[in-house]
Amino acid sequence: MSTTRRRFLSASLGSSAMVAMTPRVPGFLLEAAAREQDNKQGENVLVVVQLSGGNDGLNTVVPYADDAYGRNRFTLRIGKDQVRKIDDYAGFHPAMEGFAKLLEDEKLAIVQGVGYENPNRSHFESMDIWHTARRKGQPRRVGWLGASLDAAARVGPDVPAMHLGQGKQPLALASLKVNVPSIRSLESFCFRDGKDRALVGAIEQALTPKRDANNDLLQFLHGSTSAALASSRRIQEVLGRGKTTVQYPATKLAGKLRDVAQLIDADLGTRVYYVTLNGFDTHAAQNNAHAALLGELAGALTAFSEDLKSRGHDRRVLTLAFSEFGRRLRENASAGTDHGAAAPLFLIGPRVKPGLIGRHPSLTDLTSGDLKYHTDFRRVYATLLENWLGWKSAEVLGGKYKPLNVLA
Amino acid sequence: MNSDLSKIDPRQAWQPFVPDAKRPWNRALAAHLYRRAGFAATWDQLTAAVKQEPAELVAQLVRGPKTDEAFERQSRDLAEAMLATGNPQNLSAWWLHRMIGAPHPLLEKTTLFWHGHFATSAAKVTDPRLMLAQHELLRQHALGKFGPLVQAVSRDPAMLIYLDSTTNRKVRPNENYARELMELFCLGEGNYSEQDIKQIARCFTGWEVRNGRFRFREFQHDEGSKTFFGKTGNFGGQDAVRIVLDQPAAAEFIAGKLFRFFVCDEPAPPPALIDPLAEQLRKNDFTTGPVIERILSSRLFFSGASVGRKIRSPVELSVGLLRALGGATNVYRLAEELAQLGQAVFFPPNVKGWEGGRYWINTSTLLGRANLVGRLVSGEESKFAAGDLAQLAERCGATSPEEVVDWLLELLVAVPIPRKAREPLVKLARSTGGAAGKPVGTVIHAMSLLPEFQLG
Repeated sequence: MSTTRRRFLSASLGSSAMVAMTPRVPGFLLEAAAREQDNKQGENVLVVVQLSGGNDGLNTVVPYADDAYGRNRFTLRIGKDQVRKIDDYAGFHPAMEGFAKLLEDEKLAIVQGVGYENPNRSHFESMDIWHTARRKGQPRRVGWLGASLDAAARVGPDVPAMHLGQGKQPLALASLKVNVPSIRSLESFCFRDGKDRALVGAIEQALTPKRDANNDLLQFLHGSTSAALASSRRIQEVLGRGKTTVQYPATKLAGKLRDVAQLIDADLGTRVYYVTLNGFDTHAAQNNAHAALLGELAGALTAFSEDLKSRGHDRRVLTLAFSEFGRRLRENASAGTDHGAAAPLFLIGPRVKPGLIGRHPSLTDLTSGDLKYHTDFRRVYATLLENWLGWKSAEVLGGKYKPLNVLA
Repeated sequence: MNSDLSKIDPRQAWQPFVPDAKRPWNRALAAHLYRRAGFAATWDQLTAAVKQEPAELVAQLVRGPKTDEAFERQSRDLAEAMLATGNPQNLSAWWLHRMIGAPHPLLEKTTLFWHGHFATSAAKVTDPRLMLAQHELLRQHALGKFGPLVQAVSRDPAMLIYLDSTTNRKVRPNENYARELMELFCLGEGNYSEQDIKQIARCFTGWEVRNGRFRFREFQHDEGSKTFFGKTGNFGGQDAVRIVLDQPAAAEFIAGKLFRFFVCDEPAPPPALIDPLAEQLRKNDFTTGPVIERILSSRLFFSGASVGRKIRSPVELSVGLLRALGGATNVYRLAEELAQLGQAVFFPPNVKGWEGGRYWINTSTLLGRANLVGRLVSGEESKFAAGDLAQLAERCGATSPEEVVDWLLELLVAVPIPRKAREPLVKLARSTGGAAGKPVGTVIHAMSLLPEFQLG
């Protein structure tokens, strides 16, 4: 059943007319049946986790067996005995226990050596490049996701994309038409005073009469309002069911992803969720800060993955974790690392081809002290747009990029 | 008049509206005028309006009252205080304060129109002083001549920063401004070529922003000959703007945008309907005030093709509610709430401004709009001149539940609602006793989720 039809069904259940037509089947059963069906057929969802500041890929997926690594990371080196081994060359940072488990469960693909030509080492510029898939000087009005929404999203009550967070909305979501909400909490999807039965009853009754069939705008608003109230009811229901049994760590990222899981469960027709984890700009005393961030990332994503599974949505959700650049191979004099270039990125979900994708970039064949990329980030985007979301990518990415073979 | 725009006779459409038995001049039409020519009227304003001739009222709304020195002084002081914080988000609050209280609402509304047209975001410009300077410039020309407005915008530091055009050297002309000048500001897509962009970009070489100020660097200016739109010469930026505005598409483009802003969201008007407005612009040196006055006093404007044929923007919805009820609120909070609903003034989402129309609406924004209305009428960080809403209703002659509902519908809702939708509202008004003013607020809150409430 399409989301629109299911939404119509659950919206109509609020009105007496529909209930009267189906006297023997209690409404909640119908709704539950509809949701069950949706789990199997719902549209794919992409969750983007942006690691802002430039994540040190070399201390995330650690080439522990490479002498050049040990030589250049004289204080920040993570030894063979500390890493969580992926193979006999690379291993995860010890704080990333969750990633090791995701890999074991065949839910994690590590795409190595991702970047772009002539890497820019400014945070803002490089992030803009990742967000728009355009270089400076080219028109950059919209983001890669926003432009896709403009082309693909239907006008209507669905919220095609959502940003969870307080700060500025990422340019990746900038679109010319679609209004992408930035929300702080699930409460923004609940009708204030939704518990006032007299008020809600009056609204539902006032929405029951048909509106002038010749007035398109009014018809559109009428349909959208019924759908919005149904969504509000679903969110309230999801919130009412209480917190998930899955234990999320007490971190900000985990809190956001827990909200995302609830929103996916409530199904607002949203195809893209976007969250950010800040703080990866580790120029000095990197060790503790970086470990904490990677721990937060791995812990949150592991819980999220479990939660989605328990809610029956995991097979239609794919998570991308990326950063605007990696960091320099050679550590600096402050026990930190400076802005670099190519780095690994992560795709999480039961439908990925698990494991390392592509070789680790060479630690001796460098450009200005940085790793060379071999996989253009736009190929990752093409994969997500074409093969996951079912959207066209060429116009959005400014060229045809060959999708990677990373989805099973 | 027919609501199907293609069936409307363009010669009839822009004739002055003369009320007759079929279309009498009443509170509903006056409320429509006040909504479009500003944000909304109070009940007292509507009562006064129906005693006037429509054309006379329109002229008065376009002209505006004598400058209210006290209000302007307060506004300037407030602006200075906002600037001192260095936070451009406070500017949004400042403008909302103006919109809610300004004695010349059409000027605020038209400035908002130009802000969407020449969209520039403080998110990129960051310096609130530059944003305010641009705002003053838009306000200054809002009802005046479009030519000087475009000339001024072309040298406006905030605009040039926003469009990555702070440097423009002759060896490598920056095409950004030339492109937006034609596509977004003056002509619309399809009315120029890539070659025109390249040539016009050369005219703007040497135009730069340094330390927040516009400056012309003569030795960076390309002194060569440029050819575009059938003209050849050693043109500079000002010449380029002038020649672009001489293109036939310019008047049509601006008239079309004014039509969508003041008349209806959809459908797109046929060219024949726009032509008379475009012609008027050309004949009057592109002065927009008289064209807006003609639109607002026309038969088309007071017909079913326009009344209730726009989806209210979040600003129109909230400022309109406050103005209609004589209310005030914490504008900092309102600015944040409007950002959530997709309309942070001084922070348009992209260079094309707000798309508007149906794009205002989705599940999140519909609930957000209703929640905002609920918050405003609850008295949480808001207040009403009459004390409370029940007193206001009573003063306007609405005491019984039926009267309260009908009064609110006439004051706040642009189109009639079905009779069967009115009944539950009356029932709600009757059942919601208790604290004074609460029933009225609750009914407004319920109305805020009527599809009709979103129309303006």
